[in-house]
Amino acid sequence: MLGVRKRWRVRHWPIRYKFVSLLLISMIVPALGLGGLVSWAVDRIIERQVNENTLQLISQVNRTLEFYVNNMQNITYLIAFNPETKAFFDRSTSSDEYEIRQFLQGITTLYPEIAGILVVNQHGDYISNEMYSRSSQPLTEESWYQEAVKNKGIFKMIGHPGGRNVLSHANYSSEEVVSAVRAILEPETQKVKGVVLIDLKLRVIAEATKNVRLGKWGHLLVIDERGESIYTPSPSPLRTIPLRWVQGNSGTFSKEINGQHIQLIYQRSPFTNWTIIGVFSGNESALEVMEIRFYIISFIFFVCFIALGASYYLSFSLSRPISQLTAFMKKAQAGDLTVRYHDERMDEIGILGRSFNHMLDQMQRFISLAEWQERQRWEAELRELQAQIKPHFLYNTLDTIQWMARKKGADDVAEVVGALAKLFRIGLSKGRNMILFAEEIEHIKSYLHIQKVRYKDKLNYTFDIPEHLQQFYVLKLLLQPIVENAIYHGIKQRRGPGHISIQAEERDGTMYIRVKDDGIGMSRERLEELRKSLTIDFTAGDQEGKMRNIKGYGMVNVQARLQLTFGPSYRLYIDSEEGKGTTVMIVHPMIMNLS
Amino acid sequence: MKKLAIIYVCLIGLFLLYIYRYHFEISHLRLSSQEETAFQGKPNEKYVMITFQSGMDYWKRCLKGFEDAAEELNVSVEYRGATQYDVNEQVTVLEQVIARKPAGIAISAINPTALTKTINKAVEKGIPVVLFDSNASGSKAFSFLGTNNYNAGVTAAHEMAKLLGNKGNVGIITSPYQLNHQERTRGFIETIYQKYPQMHVVAVKNGKGDVRASKQAAIEILEDYPDVQGIFATEANGGVGMAEAVVMLNKKHVKLISFDTEKQTLDLVKKGVIAATLAQGTWNMGYWSLQFLFQLHHRLTSSSRSGDLPLPVYVDTGITVVTKENVDRFYAR
Repeated sequence: MLGVRKRWRVRHWPIRYKFVSLLLISMIVPALGLGGLVSWAVDRIIERQVNENTLQLISQVNRTLEFYVNNMQNITYLIAFNPETKAFFDRSTSSDEYEIRQFLQGITTLYPEIAGILVVNQHGDYISNEMYSRSSQPLTEESWYQEAVKNKGIFKMIGHPGGRNVLSHANYSSEEVVSAVRAILEPETQKVKGVVLIDLKLRVIAEATKNVRLGKWGHLLVIDERGESIYTPSPSPLRTIPLRWVQGNSGTFSKEINGQHIQLIYQRSPFTNWTIIGVFSGNESALEVMEIRFYIISFIFFVCFIALGASYYLSFSLSRPISQLTAFMKKAQAGDLTVRYHDERMDEIGILGRSFNHMLDQMQRFISLAEWQERQRWEAELRELQAQIKPHFLYNTLDTIQWMARKKGADDVAEVVGALAKLFRIGLSKGRNMILFAEEIEHIKSYLHIQKVRYKDKLNYTFDIPEHLQQFYVLKLLLQPIVENAIYHGIKQRRGPGHISIQAEERDGTMYIRVKDDGIGMSRERLEELRKSLTIDFTAGDQEGKMRNIKGYGMVNVQARLQLTFGPSYRLYIDSEEGKGTTVMIVHPMIMNLS
Repeated sequence: MKKLAIIYVCLIGLFLLYIYRYHFEISHLRLSSQEETAFQGKPNEKYVMITFQSGMDYWKRCLKGFEDAAEELNVSVEYRGATQYDVNEQVTVLEQVIARKPAGIAISAINPTALTKTINKAVEKGIPVVLFDSNASGSKAFSFLGTNNYNAGVTAAHEMAKLLGNKGNVGIITSPYQLNHQERTRGFIETIYQKYPQMHVVAVKNGKGDVRASKQAAIEILEDYPDVQGIFATEANGGVGMAEAVVMLNKKHVKLISFDTEKQTLDLVKKGVIAATLAQGTWNMGYWSLQFLFQLHHRLTSSSRSGDLPLPVYVDTGITVVTKENVDRFYAR
C-alpha cells in the first residue's frame, strides 16, 4: 500500500512521464479552459441576443397588429361620418341602402384584410355586403352589440366572434376572423344610435406572427386581455397560457411543460390589449451555437493531437539520453569501465555524458597505475627477502669456520669452505628465482654438510626424494630456512644425536615436501604463535606492521615467497610436539619448465 | 511509441465519432426543416391575387379559396386589384406587384389583350402566373381556371327556354368589353338562335357591371320591347339591377336569369323575383389558382423543369343552376 502510494508521488515518476505530463497539461488545460470559456460566453451572448431579437420581433409584430387594429378603428369612424350611414342610424327616410353598400364596398376595396363590415342601428336593422343575420332575432340582442353599448363609443376588440348569429357570405368561420365593435353615440345625449361590427381576417395576424420563427419549433402566439387565444399556430405545446404568467407589459420567464424546458418572452400592446408571447425551447441550442461548439471541440482535439505528439517527441529526446546515460552508469557501477557515451549533442546532457567519459578514463588510469605500483612493490619485497637471507647465512658460516679454526687443523676448513662455495653458487644462481629441484637438493646437501662439520654425529639426515620430481623447478632457497630452523630450534637443543629427514612426493599434481626432525619440538603456545605468523596474507600488500613481531623469520620468509609467487593455496604447514620433533610440509606446484 | 499510437487511435476514433454525431444532428435539424418546406411553403412566400373592381363581392369567395389554400400551404397571400373598371389601373397594379417579385400571381384579366404584355413580362421574370375567372388567352400565363363562359351562356339559354316554354323574346344585360361576358352572351345568343327558333334575342344592353346602370338598362329593354319575356344578366350586379327594374315596373311575369350567388341575388331567387342564377365555382378558382402557383413556384412536377406545360392549361371550374329549390344550399353555413 505504502509502496503503491510512493510510486504515484510525482517525484518518483520517471523523468519522461514528468515531461509528458507537463507538456500535456500546459497545452491541453489552457485549450480546454479557453474552449469552455468561449463556449460559455457564446451561449450567454447568443441567448441574450436571441432574447433581444425575439423581443424586437414581438414588438414589430405588435406594431403590425396595432396598425391593422388602428385601421379598423378608423374605419368605424369613417362609417360614422358618412351622411348616408348617419341617416341610416337615425332611420330617416332618406337613407339609401345602395349608397351605403357602395360606400362599404369602397372600404373593403381599400382594406382587403377586412372580412366583413356590418352596420346595425338601434332598431336592429342592418346593412352589410358580406354578412347577414342567421335568425329573426334582432341583432341588438347579440352579445357583441351589448359589449359595444357597454363601452360607450370606445373601440373594442372582442376576439373570435364565437356563437353570434351573424353569417359571412364568403364562409369565414369565427376562428378565421377577429371582431371589433364600436357603438355610434349621439354626441349630445350619449345615446347609442347603432353599432359598427368589423371582422378582421385572422390570416393577416397569422402572416405577421408566422413569419417569426424562434429556433427549431419556436413561434409566437397572441392572446387577448382575457387570456383567450387570438392566434395559436397548430403545433404548439401550449394551447392556453394562464393570464397570471404574463403580468405587466413585457417580460421573460421559463416553464417546465411536459418535461420540456420552455422559454417564454411576452409583450403586451396597450392599444390592442393583446399580448404576444414568444414560445421556444430553452435548452435547444441554436444551429450557430452548435457550429461554434463544433469548431471549439475540433480545436481542442487538434490541440490534443499536437500536444501528444510534441510532448512525446520532446520528452523522448530529453529523456532518452538521460536513460542511456543511466544505463551506462549502471554498467560502470557493475564493474565494466570500458563503456563510453557516444553522442555529439551539445546540450547539458552531452556535457554530462562527456564528463562521465572523462571520469571513467581517469578511473581506469588510476586503477592501472595502482596495479603497476602494487606489482612493483611485490617485486621489491621479494628481492629484499632474498637479499636478507644471504648475509645472515654468511655470518653463520663464517662463525663456524672461526670456531673450527680455533679448535682444529686446516683440513676440515678446506672441506667446509668447499661446501660454502657451492652454497654460494647455488644461492646466487644468477639472480633467478626458480631452480631445478635437484639443484636445490644439492644446495641443501652442501648446507647440511657444513652443519655436519659443526654438529658431528649429533646431526644426521636422510633424503627420500623420487628421481622424477628432481626434474621440476622449485623456488630457490625453499628448504634451507626450514632445515636451518630444524637444526637450530630442534636438533641443537636435543640431547644425543638427532635426525632430519627430507621427503618429497607428488599427489594430485601438487608437490608435497616434508622436512621432519626429531628435535625438542615446540610448546603448544609457540606453535600457535608460529602458525599465526604464517597466516599473514602477503598477497594483500603492505603488511609491514605485522612483520615486525613475527616468530621464525625463515619460515615466514618461505611462506611469503610461496604465496607471493604462486598464490595463497601454496604454503607451509607446521606440526610439532614438544620433546618429539617438528614436521614442516611445503605445498609446492609442479612446474615443468620456466616460461 | 505503441502506447502513443493507441492513444492517437483512440483520439481519432473519438473525434470521428463526434464528427459523425454532429453531422447526424445537423442533418437531422436541416432535414426536419426541409421536411416542412417539402410539404409546406414559408410564411414569407407571398402570392398575390389581382382583380379589377376589387371591392366587388364576387371576388370575396375567390379570395376565400385563395386564402384557404394559403392556410393549408403555410404561405402568405395578398389581394390587390384595380379599384375600378379600369384597364390602365389594373396594368399599373400588375406592374407594381411584379416589381415586388412575389412567389406567384393569380390574375383575372379585365380585358383579353390589354394585360398580355405585362403578364408575359412577369413570366419572363420567373414569376408564375395563372389566370382565373377571365382569360387573356394570348399571354404566357401557365393556366386558366374559370368557368367555361360559352357553356354558361348555353346553360342559361336552355334554362331560359325551359322557363318560357321555348318561345318568346329575350334581352341580355352584359359588359360587352369583357371576354367572359362576351362569351356568355355569345353562348346564350347562339343557342337561342340554333336550338329555339321561336325565341329571339331582341336586345343586348351594357350594364357596366353596376346595379344602377343595369337597372337603367333593364328599364330601357322593358320599355323599348314590352313583349320581352325574359332577361339574362351575365353578371351579379346586372341581376340585382334588372330585378329592381322589374319590381319597379311591376313586370313580374318577366323571367330573370342572373349570374353568381351574391347574397342579394340569392335573396331575390328565394323571393322568386329572379327565377334562376348560375353559380360559378368561385372558391375553386381561388383555391386551385394558389395550388397551381405553389406547384409552379416549387417546381414540384418533374416536367416543369424541362419547360413543358406541367399543369392543365385550362380548368373548367363548373357551373350550377340555382333555383328556388336549391337556393338554401348556397347561403353561408
